[in-house]
Amino acid sequence: MTGLGDLRSYNPLVKVLGPVPVMVYVVTTRDVLTPALVALGAFAVLAGMGRLRPRVLAAIAGGAVVLCAVMTFSFGLLTDPALVEGTALLATVGTFEVRSGALAVGLATAVRTVALMMLVLLGGLTTSGAELVRALTQQLHLPYRVGYAALAALRFVPRFGHELEVIRGAHRVRGVAPGRGPVVAVRRQAGYVVPLLAGGIRHAERVSLAMDARGFGAHPTRTERTAVPFGARDVVLLLSFWAGGAACVVLAATVTLA
Amino acid sequence: MRFAYPDQVTSPLLELRGLRVRHHLPLDDGGHRLGAPAPDGVDLAVRPGEVVLLLGPSGCGKSTLALATNGLVPHAVAADVTGEVAAGGHDVAQTRPPLLAADVAMVFQDPDAQVVTGSVLDEVCFAPENLCLPPAEVLARAEDALRQVGLWERREDDPALLSGGGRQRLALACALAVGARLLVLDEPTANLDPDGVEQFYATLRSVTAAGERGVLLVEHDLDAAVDAADRVVVLDAAGRVATTGPVREVLADRAELLAELGVWLPTTTIAALRLRAAGVPIDPLPLTPAELTAALDAVTLPAPVVGEPDRPPPDRPPDARDAVISVDHLTLRRGGRTVLDDVSLDVARGDLLALVGANGAGKTTLAQIVAGVLRPRRRAVAGSVRVGGLDPWRADVRDLTAAVGFVFQNPEHQFVTGRVDDELAHGLRVRGVPDGEVAARVDDVLDRFGLSHLRDRHPFWLSGGQKRRLSVGTAIVCRPDVLVLDEPTYGQDRERAVELLDLLTALHDDGTTVVVVSHDMQLVAEHATRVVVLADGRVVADGSPAVVLGDDVVLAAAGLRTPPLARATRALRDPAWRAVTRLADLPAARLAEVDA
Repeated sequence: MTGLGDLRSYNPLVKVLGPVPVMVYVVTTRDVLTPALVALGAFAVLAGMGRLRPRVLAAIAGGAVVLCAVMTFSFGLLTDPALVEGTALLATVGTFEVRSGALAVGLATAVRTVALMMLVLLGGLTTSGAELVRALTQQLHLPYRVGYAALAALRFVPRFGHELEVIRGAHRVRGVAPGRGPVVAVRRQAGYVVPLLAGGIRHAERVSLAMDARGFGAHPTRTERTAVPFGARDVVLLLSFWAGGAACVVLAATVTLA
Repeated sequence: MRFAYPDQVTSPLLELRGLRVRHHLPLDDGGHRLGAPAPDGVDLAVRPGEVVLLLGPSGCGKSTLALATNGLVPHAVAADVTGEVAAGGHDVAQTRPPLLAADVAMVFQDPDAQVVTGSVLDEVCFAPENLCLPPAEVLARAEDALRQVGLWERREDDPALLSGGGRQRLALACALAVGARLLVLDEPTANLDPDGVEQFYATLRSVTAAGERGVLLVEHDLDAAVDAADRVVVLDAAGRVATTGPVREVLADRAELLAELGVWLPTTTIAALRLRAAGVPIDPLPLTPAELTAALDAVTLPAPVVGEPDRPPPDRPPDARDAVISVDHLTLRRGGRTVLDDVSLDVARGDLLALVGANGAGKTTLAQIVAGVLRPRRRAVAGSVRVGGLDPWRADVRDLTAAVGFVFQNPEHQFVTGRVDDELAHGLRVRGVPDGEVAARVDDVLDRFGLSHLRDRHPFWLSGGQKRRLSVGTAIVCRPDVLVLDEPTYGQDRERAVELLDLLTALHDDGTTVVVVSHDMQLVAEHATRVVVLADGRVVADGSPAVVLGDDVVLAAAGLRTPPLARATRALRDPAWRAVTRLADLPAARLAEVDA
């Protein structure tokens, strides 16, 4: 079998749903080390098997670091001061006291979030919408009408973006709610709703007629040209995810005890 | 239920008997009332090897009839249907539309609204997969269909990357792959540029050449469709069959009847009718430019009336002092692509400028930039634009609406209030015009555009033509120096397009400078005083319509075609007639001469 080292060649369900137990465990952790190890592990898998462009990998790594920094400070400020009264006072900003305990709580929250993000990216960056829908219909027996209708709806998104841009320009040159400030901005946005919806509904009706005319929904099943296999290698990947998660937990516990 | 097939070869692929459809129009209480019947009692058959052209004025039920052929009306679009519809041996009334996909394939007007998947190949496979064909068979059919329409090399591409014409050929490939012997095409070229139209019909001809398939074609652009069609069915405004017969017999011999019904004829046929009225003996009436050329060469022609006084002398140098729009070395980049490339353009006061080019040539972007609709980021743009002395990207909206009015391709985009009269008053109120004057000017525009009886309606509830008139009204009520229109005839039938262009000509005669983005070459030839051709974001030609529209090489390179009348006249032996490009250049009717 080829492409063992390519995450893209595995069953999308394993990549998207496989890490879920690990995610659930990560949510329950309170230390920094366990989620940090999980995040590093997931990033290593992405880097080694994701076949991503170096620029994308760099953006993920950079984004994770920035997210950690921002969340550590903002969550640190929001932590209940009573909980961290005994820890060292690092700085005083006005009436705010920044204590080391608060920062530690913030850091733990931040690293948990990053770990979750990395686990989602494992499937998210290596699976297309169409592949996921195929796997959902073939392995989980999701009715294909639901899956393919969702895919068709996804194709509306860029069209809506373009349409919104045009409507925005149109309303601006007509002088709708000019000026600055949140109230005006809300009024402006509210004005886009009706034309956007009217256009969207009409478009959706046309697409649905075109799909009906092309036999969508003629039979309870449809041919899948591309079979999405669920083989031994997928089971191996699934078990590896879990084993990797468990290894992180054990390693973190050992380091903490020692 | 399957009807017996008495004869595979000659029995009709589609048979309508007494088809009458009344749409369900929703009421506020959740119920519905019935619309006027359209079509009303139509008999129609399509046999193998035949292309049947369905014509009729707006609202006669052509599209409804097309949707009834595979049961989308009434199964998906609620309506009361009486009469019989049989397609491919199925009773359509008893069959769900998806089950008819193997017998009836449809191509709709909007290329965007029929793409379901993310690649050209998946798109063509979509219908055969829905019909549960084995994967090998699906692929074989898809390859065959894509090769027939010339898109096999692009099978990996996202359909969104294809041109409008490419996407309609893809829709045709989808129809072929499913193996349906009846193709129903509902205005398949209405949104395409001339190059796309030509490609589409060339492909359609090759597809029908084998004689196995039948086509029901709804089309307004007869200049393109007349070559492809065998038989015509004409509906009247009430949705009844007015006349039917072979193409030539109906379009040429009953041309007067069709004109009376409000059905558009090929441009060359209209030209010949006018010449006939002016005393030039042309018989039979021509349907194509080549036939008109032959007919005119066979008779002695009176002098044409080229160069009327209202037409500025050709190639007048643009006077910089009088320029109401000036674009100076404008370059715009968007998403890593150069959308406009070093465009310089001065538009003199009183011009009616047509901005033409293929889909994606940058026409709309240029028009939006001039009108201040698009405010580019400083980094993405080089050069400058002035309109009526203002910088449209920085000017205050109140000043801008006095300088330039913009009419959007889709009128709904620019409606911002809940009533027709408020819509017109909005721009004036923003500018602080006193209430009394607002009321007077709103009444004036309502009256002029025939919207007075609709003044308390919601703009979204107007008909297509009324919406278009209101959108022009909102732009001109502030009396701007310049009116810019983005493809105002896009997706509209010929009748409405003509109505709109007459309106523009009237505004232009009153002194408004008009810039219109279009790829309808005959309309451009009829109305413009100057034509600017864009290709890939560059100006490739700029001059009077007579000069620009006569330049085949430039037009073809820009994805455009010479309009039909010019194509007919420039091959004429009489040199005085070679400059005739507009119907208005033809000699007036004899009666008028006698009156004078």
